Amino acid sequence: MSELTLQDAKSIIENQIETLKKRNKEPDWMTKLRYKAMNAFFEAPHNDPIITDPLDYIAKAEEEMYPEVKNLDELPPEMLALLDRLGIADVEKKYIAGLAVQSDTSIVLNDFLKEWRKKGLIMESMEDAIRNHDMMKELFMKQFHPEESKLAAYHTAVWNGGVFLHVDAGLKVPMPLHLFFLIQNSAMAQAPHIIIDAREGSEIHLIEGCTSPVLVRHSLHLDMSEVYVGKNARVKLSVLQNWPEYVHTRPMTRAIVEQGGEFINTTVGLGTGKSNIANPKYIVKDGGYVELNGIILGQKDYYVDLGGEMLLEGTGARGMNASKSVIMDNSTVITRGLIHAKAPKTKGHISCDALILNHDAKMETYPGLASEVDDAELSHEAAIGKIREEELFYLMSHGLKEEEATQLIVKGFVNPLLKDIPLEFVVEIRKIIEMAVSGGM
Amino acid sequence: MNQLLKLENLRVSVGTDKEILKGLDLEVHPGEFHVIMGPNGSGKTTLGLTIMGHPNYKIIGGKILFEGREINKLAPDERARLGIFMAFQAPEAIEGVKIIDYLRLLLEKVKGVDRLKSHDMVIEKAKEVWFTEKELARDINLGFSGGERKRFEILQALLLDPKLVILDEPDSGVDVDSLSLISIKLHELQKQGKTILLITHYGRILQHVDPSQVQVHIIKDGKIVMHGREELVREIENKGFKKVFEECGCNE
Ligand SMILES: Nc1ncnc2c1ncn2[C@@H]1O[C@H](COP(=O)(O)OP(=O)(O)OP(=O)(O)O)[C@@H](O)[C@H]1O
Ligand SMILES: [Mg+2]
Repeated sequence: MSELTLQDAKSIIENQIETLKKRNKEPDWMTKLRYKAMNAFFEAPHNDPIITDPLDYIAKAEEEMYPEVKNLDELPPEMLALLDRLGIADVEKKYIAGLAVQSDTSIVLNDFLKEWRKKGLIMESMEDAIRNHDMMKELFMKQFHPEESKLAAYHTAVWNGGVFLHVDAGLKVPMPLHLFFLIQNSAMAQAPHIIIDAREGSEIHLIEGCTSPVLVRHSLHLDMSEVYVGKNARVKLSVLQNWPEYVHTRPMTRAIVEQGGEFINTTVGLGTGKSNIANPKYIVKDGGYVELNGIILGQKDYYVDLGGEMLLEGTGARGMNASKSVIMDNSTVITRGLIHAKAPKTKGHISCDALILNHDAKMETYPGLASEVDDAELSHEAAIGKIREEELFYLMSHGLKEEEATQLIVKGFVNPLLKDIPLEFVVEIRKIIEMAVSGGM
Repeated sequence: MNQLLKLENLRVSVGTDKEILKGLDLEVHPGEFHVIMGPNGSGKTTLGLTIMGHPNYKIIGGKILFEGREINKLAPDERARLGIFMAFQAPEAIEGVKIIDYLRLLLEKVKGVDRLKSHDMVIEKAKEVWFTEKELARDINLGFSGGERKRFEILQALLLDPKLVILDEPDSGVDVDSLSLISIKLHELQKQGKTILLITHYGRILQHVDPSQVQVHIIKDGKIVMHGREELVREIENKGFKKVFEECGCNE
């Protein structure tokens, strides 16, 4: 049981809402929504195997303002140092164009983003976007409802940080945009809200690098993403998670893919945090396509549960859920996907592969297929196993040490799902995998 | 006489207790060219894999000596680093691992080649066995044709520059041109002074090899039952193992 009484919790949340309202100069509709969500929090259902009582995670709000930052040079020195440590400085040199760094509530805009703004690309912090654009009323919390779960309600009540990305109809942004959340020791910085609004025929690729340098222990990270993929639009969202081991993360993602649209959602969980539970949901209209690629590195005593529900609602809609998990130490990884064919000529496939590197690691997979029509093509395949002795022998017989051979096999195993990740990140991801494999051996 | 490889009464089992090699002796001196023949299932691949240290093949008796040192218990990578190489009869496919990345890693980790030079070295050697730069972006052995697999094994031998090259049927499943190429490469390895242990069913693979250097051993049911020179290869090709074994009284 939590030490907080419900009354305590309520006054903490109220306090947070008031603080956010003032700090962000929020319009009334937003404040109302927050209060509505607060009330829902106490009624909403809750079901989480790790976070049994969300009240434990309702921290006292600390007000912490970050200075307005207009370009990268103005970042506080500790953040610059962090960017450097993460190797982002290098990546940035290549991709300076599309890099945005979010320091709790402000977004660093660079010349590229300013230039593209004129063409119809908006990338703003969610706080700014809520103040600046009326259309937010039509987009914010339209795919989720606070009543559906305690975590959704809590997020809605105290959300802060996050980004709004809007692409005008027909606008094709040629290079990936990079967004780094630098979440510092503010207890208020745990619930960013992300909206991608890609209008008809547009194209965009957003890469989110999540990192959390000095979070308080036992903290909970509750991010929520709502993605709108317009008719024939193509959206890629790649999320690289590298959380410290004491953070619990509950990413909530939903997307609506309109006719002929395409949404490719890749999530790379290298540092998944103490526990990571996600069940993204996608609604796909006529001829639309959605792809969820999940790479999961289970280490230490981490608990990871990656779901994915695809509702193929339009004729010819297609969904693909592919996951590759590498599991070691005492970690537990569960993958479950559900593809629901609700319209004619829909197609769906779930594939789940897992490499188990040692005896104590646990893997479960539950692929789900459901069809309401007689001409859907749905299939699934799953393969869970150790590294094949024959592969290891092949590499070792040519002189690679067991550790080198294992690293190579593991990197190769996840490689097919990294196709949309820029090379710089792939290099970084491979390094992290190598270190994890060595550490596990 | 100091042998490069010496097998002393080698007995090997696979699985729980199935004995496959039943007391096998062989001496190989530096620079020699040995050919191993024998019927299907007689233990030729087992012999190669045991020398290489495959974990499924348990040595239940006897010794493997390499340069005078017993290597029975060494891990495969340690044997490779001593200079033993095996081109496999049925090489493994490894999904997701690009040939170029793998070969560069081999050069860097096993041969200590500088990272700046490894790329060009791979490309250059690959050309010799007909791999284009583009093909090197494929995954190891994945979807390879029979001939491609065999050429890829040879490529690794060329890059690793071992002392002892064991080749397990490098000629099976390859077309005439590839066969000729592989035979030429064998001859090159021979000229470089490498020691060769070639497992084969056919004499054609020897077309470019100096026949006077060739020593032939016939395995039957896990033991070497006959020794000879190049003519023995022809005799077997003409008569078949059954007849040859009958004539030599090897069936007793
Ligand atoms: N891993 C294994 N498990 C069980 N039996 C095996 C294994 N490896 C080899 N054997 C058996 O050992 C015997 C010798 O096999 P081996 O592969 O060494 O024959 P070979 O002489 O290379 O034959 P081929 O000319 O067909 O390549 C065969 O009966 C084979 O079935
Ligand atoms: Mg064989």
